[in-house]
Amino acid sequence: MTNPSGTINMILAALGGEGGGVLTNWVIDVADREGWLCQSTSLAGVAQRTGATIYYLELFPRDRLQGDALPVMSLFPAQGDIDIAIASEIAEAGRMVQRGFVTPERTTLIASDHRVYGITEKEHLADGIVDATVLQNVASQYARNYIHYDMLALANEHGTVISSVLLGALAGAGVLPFAKDSYRAVISATGKAVASNLAAFEAGYERASARGVEQFQPPAPALDPVGFQLPAATNSEGQALLQRLRAFPEDCHEILYLGLQKLVDYQDFAYAHQYLDELEALLALDAGSAEHHALVSECGRYLALWMCYEDIPRVAQLKTRPDRVAKIRSEVQAEPGQLFAVTEFFRPRVEEMCALLPAPLGRRVQASPACRRVLGWFTGGKRLRTNTISVFLLLRTLAGLRRWRRSTLGYSHEHALIQSWLQAVRAAAGSDQALALELVECGRLVKGYGDTRARTTAQMQAILAQAVAGNVSASDIAALREAALADDEGRAFAQAMAA
Amino acid sequence: MAERSFAQEVLKLRAGDGEVFRGEGILAITKALLQSGVSYVGGYQGSPISHLMDVLNDAREILGELGVHFEANGSEATAAAMLSASVNYPLRGAVTWKSTVGTNVASDALSNLASSGVTGGAMVIVGEDYGEGSSIMQERTYAFAMKAQMWLLDPRPNLPSIVDMVEQGFGLSEASNTPIFYMMRIRGCHVTGEFVARDNVAPGFSNRNPVQPRREPEKIILPPHVYAQEREKISQRLPAALAYIKEHKLNEVFPGRHQQIGIIVQGGVYNTVIRALQRQGLADPFGNTEIPLYVMNVAYPLVPDELVEFCRDREQVLVLEEGQPEYVEQGIHTVLRRANVDTRVRGKDVMPMAGEYTGQVTLEGITRFLEQAAPDITLTLSATDVEALRNPLTEDDQQALLANVPPRPSGLCTGCPERPLFSAIKQVQKELGPFHISSDIGCHSFATLAPFNLGNTIMGYGLSLASSSGIRHSLPHKSISIMGDGGFWHNGLTSGVTSAVFNKHDGVLVIVDNGYSAATGGQDIPSMVEPNQIIATTLDAASASRTDAQSIEAACRGAGVRWLRTVSTYSIDAMMDTLREALTTREPGLKVIVAEGECMLNRQRRIKPLMKQAISGGKRTVRARFMVDSDTCTGDHACIRISGCPSLTIKPNPDPLRRDPVSYVDNSCVGCGVCGSNAHAAILCPSFSRVDLIYNPGRVDRFAARMRGAVIGWLQARTARRQQETAL
Repeated sequence: MTNPSGTINMILAALGGEGGGVLTNWVIDVADREGWLCQSTSLAGVAQRTGATIYYLELFPRDRLQGDALPVMSLFPAQGDIDIAIASEIAEAGRMVQRGFVTPERTTLIASDHRVYGITEKEHLADGIVDATVLQNVASQYARNYIHYDMLALANEHGTVISSVLLGALAGAGVLPFAKDSYRAVISATGKAVASNLAAFEAGYERASARGVEQFQPPAPALDPVGFQLPAATNSEGQALLQRLRAFPEDCHEILYLGLQKLVDYQDFAYAHQYLDELEALLALDAGSAEHHALVSECGRYLALWMCYEDIPRVAQLKTRPDRVAKIRSEVQAEPGQLFAVTEFFRPRVEEMCALLPAPLGRRVQASPACRRVLGWFTGGKRLRTNTISVFLLLRTLAGLRRWRRSTLGYSHEHALIQSWLQAVRAAAGSDQALALELVECGRLVKGYGDTRARTTAQMQAILAQAVAGNVSASDIAALREAALADDEGRAFAQAMAA
Repeated sequence: MAERSFAQEVLKLRAGDGEVFRGEGILAITKALLQSGVSYVGGYQGSPISHLMDVLNDAREILGELGVHFEANGSEATAAAMLSASVNYPLRGAVTWKSTVGTNVASDALSNLASSGVTGGAMVIVGEDYGEGSSIMQERTYAFAMKAQMWLLDPRPNLPSIVDMVEQGFGLSEASNTPIFYMMRIRGCHVTGEFVARDNVAPGFSNRNPVQPRREPEKIILPPHVYAQEREKISQRLPAALAYIKEHKLNEVFPGRHQQIGIIVQGGVYNTVIRALQRQGLADPFGNTEIPLYVMNVAYPLVPDELVEFCRDREQVLVLEEGQPEYVEQGIHTVLRRANVDTRVRGKDVMPMAGEYTGQVTLEGITRFLEQAAPDITLTLSATDVEALRNPLTEDDQQALLANVPPRPSGLCTGCPERPLFSAIKQVQKELGPFHISSDIGCHSFATLAPFNLGNTIMGYGLSLASSSGIRHSLPHKSISIMGDGGFWHNGLTSGVTSAVFNKHDGVLVIVDNGYSAATGGQDIPSMVEPNQIIATTLDAASASRTDAQSIEAACRGAGVRWLRTVSTYSIDAMMDTLREALTTREPGLKVIVAEGECMLNRQRRIKPLMKQAISGGKRTVRARFMVDSDTCTGDHACIRISGCPSLTIKPNPDPLRRDPVSYVDNSCVGCGVCGSNAHAAILCPSFSRVDLIYNPGRVDRFAARMRGAVIGWLQARTARRQQETAL
C-alpha cells in the first residue's frame, strides 16, 4: 500500500437486516488472522431502522509496527481516501459515488445489482422507480474497479443473507492481501449457518474472481416489437380474430395480441371483436406513419385494460383461477406440500353492487337513499376464506355473472367513458398526432378500486373535457396527466386545471 | 430486553491485570469505570450511548460481584440527581446520557451538583450527538460545562486513551471537588480497538460497607452558602484542577520540526487531524508529525500556562474546535493577550463555523491554514486539489445521481404497531382535517416523514402535550398530541398530563404504548404492554413476563384524567372510531387514548425462538403472512401511501400491458395484518390476502384439506378445460 497513512481504508453501506455488522466483524477477524490490525466504527442510531448503516474500517499490517507505537487511524471515511467501497445495493453504490467516496485512481467498488426500493419509489401513483442503469453507468466511470452482479440472488439461492456473498466478492476481488482460507475459517468459526454461508461465500468469490474487473455494459432493450411472431390460434374463432389482427401493421401485433388474449379471457370472442372494431376505426384515420402505428398500439394497450375493468365478477374470476394455489405457494415460499389457508380482504361499496345490476334497475337503486341504506348493510369489510368449498362456490358463482355483464350498469358506465375517450383520441388523431398520443396515455390514469378509481376516472373526464373544449396542446395534456399522478388528494391536479 | 445483547461481551469485563481487552469504545469505558472503583452507575439511554446502558444492564451480575449499584434511571434528571451521592462521601459514581438533550433535561441537578461540589469523583459520560449520524438538533455540551463550571474531557479516540482518561477523570474530579463531563463522540462510541486491562477495583463503600451519615451544611445550595460556593469555584476548585491537569499531563504536546506554526486541537478530533497531515506528507502512520500539536484531552478548562508555552514562539497557531460559538478560540485569545503573547490565532477564519469536522472539512481547513501561514512547506495536495476531492463528479453525472439516488428517510419497522395508528390518524384527517399535531421524541417521530406526513412540532421528550397548550385555543379542531410511553414516563406525566388536567386542557393525547423505549434500542420502561391479539401466529398469547409493571392508565387516572380509552393499534376501525369520538365529544377535559401494541422488533425476538421450538417439537403452529395478488393489483400504490411498511414494496408488473409496478409483500412480512385492515378501512382494493401457513397439521387440517382439494380441484379442472377451449 502506498497510502501515506499505511492503511487500507474500506467503507461499507448496508441496509437493515443485510448483515452489515456481521460482515464487518468477519473482516476484522480475517485481518486478525492475517496479522493485521483493524479499526472499525459505524454510524447506526436511528439509521438502522430503514436507512443505510455506514461502517468504516481501516487496516494496518502488524509487521510494520515499530515497537509499542500503534498507528493513528481515522474514524471518518474521507473523500479521495477510500480503497474499497462496498454497497449492498445499487442505489447505495450511487450514494457512495455521490458523496465522493469513490475515486477513479484508487477505489474498488463492490456492489450488488439488485434494488431495494426507497419510499419515494414505492409510494408513487404510477412508476417512480429510478433508473438503475444510470447508476451503474456512473459507478463504472468513477470506480477503479467496479465489481457488480446480483448478490441477493446468489444469497437467496443458498438460503442465506447477502453479507456472505459480499464477503466472497471482497475476497474474490483480490483487493485485500488475505488468503481465501482465512475468510473460510472465520465463517466456520462463527458456528451459525456455516454450510450455507460458505456456499454463498464461494459463489460470491467465483463470480468476483472469474469475471475479474467487470466493465459495465448497458443491457440490451427488453422488448423488440419487430421480432414478435403471432402465435397460431387454437380454434376457429381465435383464427378469425387473428385474421383481423394481421391486417394491422406488424409493430402493433404484440400489444394487440396480448389485448385480445385478455379480452377473450375476460368476456368472450365477441368482446375481442368489439375491441378490434375500435382500433380499426383509429387505424383507418392514417395508416401510413410509424407515429400512427405507435398511437394505435398504445391505444390498444389501454383500451384492453379499460375494457377489462375490475368489477366483482372479474375479481371473483381471478381469485378462483386454477393456477392460483401454485402461485400463492411460490409467493409465500411455503414448504413443499405444506398446508395453508387463504383469506381474502374484500369491501365492496354500494356502487360496486349497483354496477352488477341491470342498468335501468341499477340507476334507480343508486338514486334511492332507502335502497342505498339497505345495501349499505352489506358493505362491511369481508374476510373470505377462498380455500373453503362454500366461499369457492360463492366466488365461482359471482365469476359466472360475467355472462350478463353487457347488460349491467357498470358496463354501460365504463363503456360510455371509453367512448368519450376514444372520440377525443380520434378527433385529435386527424390533426395532431402528438396530442392524440398524450390523450391515449391518459388511459394510464384509469386504475384502482373504490375511491381511487372514482378519483382517477373523474380526472380523466376533466382532461377529456379540456381536450374537447379545444385549444390544448400535447404538452398541456401531458402536464395535466403528470399532475394527476403527483398526489392522491388531487391538489396538484386542481392547481394544474386552474392554471 | 434490549435490541442488542452484550451478554457475551460483558464477560470480558472480568479481565485482570495485563490481559489484552478487545472491543468497542462503549465496552472499554465500562471496563475503565470498574477499574476506577465506581460505587454506583446509572443513566438514560439514547444514541450514541444507548449501548453503554445496555452493557451496564447486561453486566448486572459482574457489577453485583463488585458491589457496584446500578439504576436504569427514569430520566437524565434522575441520573444527574443520583450523583449527589458523591457530594458528602468519597463515593465514585458515573452516569451517562445523550447530549445535549439529556444535559438539558439534567441541567437543574447538574448546576446544583456543580455548586455544592463533590467529595467522591462524579462523572457524566455524555454521548455528544453532533454531526453525521446524529438524531437531534445540533448543539454542543461545551457551553454547559463553562457556565456551571464542570470540567469537560474529550479524549483522543483510541481505546488506551479512552480508558486512561476515565481513570484520570475521577482523580481530577476529586482533586478539584468538581463534577466532570466525559465526552464521547458518535464514532468514538463505536470504535473498536484494544488495550491492556487492569484488575477491577471494588468500591470502598457499598451495601457491604455502608458510609457513616454525615452532614455538611456548607454544601447545601441555600444562601449564604451558594455565594461561598461560587467564589470557591474560582479560588480553589479551578486552580486545583489546573494543577492536576498539568501535573498528570492530561493534555499532550506532540513536537514537530516546523516550529513557527502549530495546531491546537481537542482530543476527539486528533485522529482526523493526523490523517489530514498524513495525506499532506506531514505525518507518518504512527502520528509522528512535522507540525507541532497541542492536544487538549481536557477541553475545558483551558490551561493558560500550557497554552502560553505552546504558542509563545510561534508565528501562527490553528485552533480546531467543532461547532459554534468558538468558545475555545476566544478563550485562547484571552489567555494569550493577557500574557502579552502576540502569536496569531487562526480558527473559524479558515474553518467552517457550523457542523462537524469530517475528514474532508479538516483536510480543507488545515491545507488553507498551511498555505497561508507557512507557504514554504511543501504539501502533497494544494487547496485546489483538496477542494476538488469534495465533489469529483461532472455536472451531468451529479444531476444524473440527484435524479436517481432515492432518499431513504427513517421509517417504522416491518409490522410496527405504530403504523396502523398513523394509518388511522391519516384517514380520520381526511374526514376532519387538516390537523395540527404536536409530536414527540420516539419512533413515532418518523410519522412526520413520508408516507404519513403527520406532525408539526417536536419540542422534546414527553413534551408534546405541553407543546399543544399554547396553540390549542387557536386551532379549528381539538388539539392533538402524540407521545410515546417512554416520553410519558420520562416527562410527559408531569409536564404534560398533570399540567393539562390542572389547566382544563380540552385536547386529545394519544399515548403510543409499545412496551419499551423502542427508538433507543428496546430498553425496558416502567409500563408493560399486553401481548397483541394479532393474527400473526397461534403463539400470540405467549406473554412477556414481568410482574412489576407500572400502569399508564392508572397513572393518568391518578393525575385526574376522566376520559381514557385503551385501543389496540392493530384495530384500525376501532382506533378511527375512538379518534373521531375524542375529537368531537362535548365532554370537557383531556381525552387520553392509550394506543397499545407491542414493539414488533421486541415481539419478534420473543416469538421467533418459541415458534422454532414449537415447530420442531411437532406442535401444530400457524404462521400468518400477507401477499398482494398481482393479478388484481392495478399499481396505484395507495396501500403503500397509508402504510409505508418496509415489507410492502413493489415489483415489475407481471401483466405486459401494464406499465406501473405492482405492490408486493416480501418475505420479511411478520403477518401483523395492517395491510388487510387498511384494505378494509380505506376501502382500497381486493388484492390483499392473508396466508396462514400451517406447520405440523393435525388430522382435522389434513382431512379438510383433502376434501377441499378434491372438490375445488375438480371444479378448477373443469374451468381449466373450458379456459383452454375458449382461449385465443
